[in-house]
Amino acid sequence: MKPATDPLAQLTEIRAIMERSSRFLSLSGLSGVGAGVVALAGAGVGHWYLHTQYGAQAFLHLVEGSAAERRAALPFLLALAVGMIGLALAVAFFFTHRRAAQEGRTLWDAPARRLMLSLALPLGAGGLFCLGLYLRGAASFVVPGLLLFYGLALLNASKYTLDEIRLLGLTQMALGLVAMLLPGWALIFFALGFGLGHIGYGLLMYNRYERAPRPTL
Amino acid sequence: MKHLIHTLNKAFDNRVRLGVMAVLMANESVSFNELKEALDLTDGNLASHVSALEKVGYVLVSKQFVGKKPNTTYQASKEGKAAFQDHLAALEKLLRG
Repeated sequence: MKPATDPLAQLTEIRAIMERSSRFLSLSGLSGVGAGVVALAGAGVGHWYLHTQYGAQAFLHLVEGSAAERRAALPFLLALAVGMIGLALAVAFFFTHRRAAQEGRTLWDAPARRLMLSLALPLGAGGLFCLGLYLRGAASFVVPGLLLFYGLALLNASKYTLDEIRLLGLTQMALGLVAMLLPGWALIFFALGFGLGHIGYGLLMYNRYERAPRPTL
Repeated sequence: MKHLIHTLNKAFDNRVRLGVMAVLMANESVSFNELKEALDLTDGNLASHVSALEKVGYVLVSKQFVGKKPNTTYQASKEGKAAFQDHLAALEKLLRG
């Protein structure tokens, strides 16, 4: 290797190495858009199912109904949640894998592992906690709880990836707190946070980093 | 201009060594394989440069075993961090002319 003598080139390279080695930068904005579309579709399916099962006041019915009724709806809700998470992850993986390949980067490097772990731990704990809320009669806190824990997980993971993820996390947390005050609007807040939130920030990131040629710094 | 060039640290006049220090500045503790991955180097090339940095006391090495596999991790020493900061400052000074 040639010694880098040009100070500007050296500084540029140092900065790039420091960024790349500590943050996962190949995250594609289209991953967010895809995950948002999946969330909106999931909210639609959930809405449709609950209405055909329990009528117009379906959500209140579940929240205020008996534990037995909530348990009866659980298999559907869990299957929907697992399906949505699986589909959203698959879409996110597809676009991020594509971007990493285009930029000639490895997808599964040390920052990527740290990013996944720092997301998975708070999300796993939050998911179980929300399941507990649902089963123990505090179902109206499930959607606010999911938004809040997801926001905290993003906030935690944002130090290993693009800065926009921190703002997305703060947005989800704010939506979660407001959703707590408006229990009848849970599905709307779910669609706002997991659907439009992802799509909005995804488009922002796509426009900023992927559409135009990426700045070298 | 010439005297300014001499303020640049000799230990960092090589791209690989500069790269190793950059990774260690951005991350608390890094394994050999992570370092290799981040800088896209071969084992031998990386090892020789890391040991050069170790010799001047800029890099701390710790060896552990994970099961039967040796796992070597590297950290920037206090002196290494200070020297790297000085090097960056010298580069910036050169740029400003």
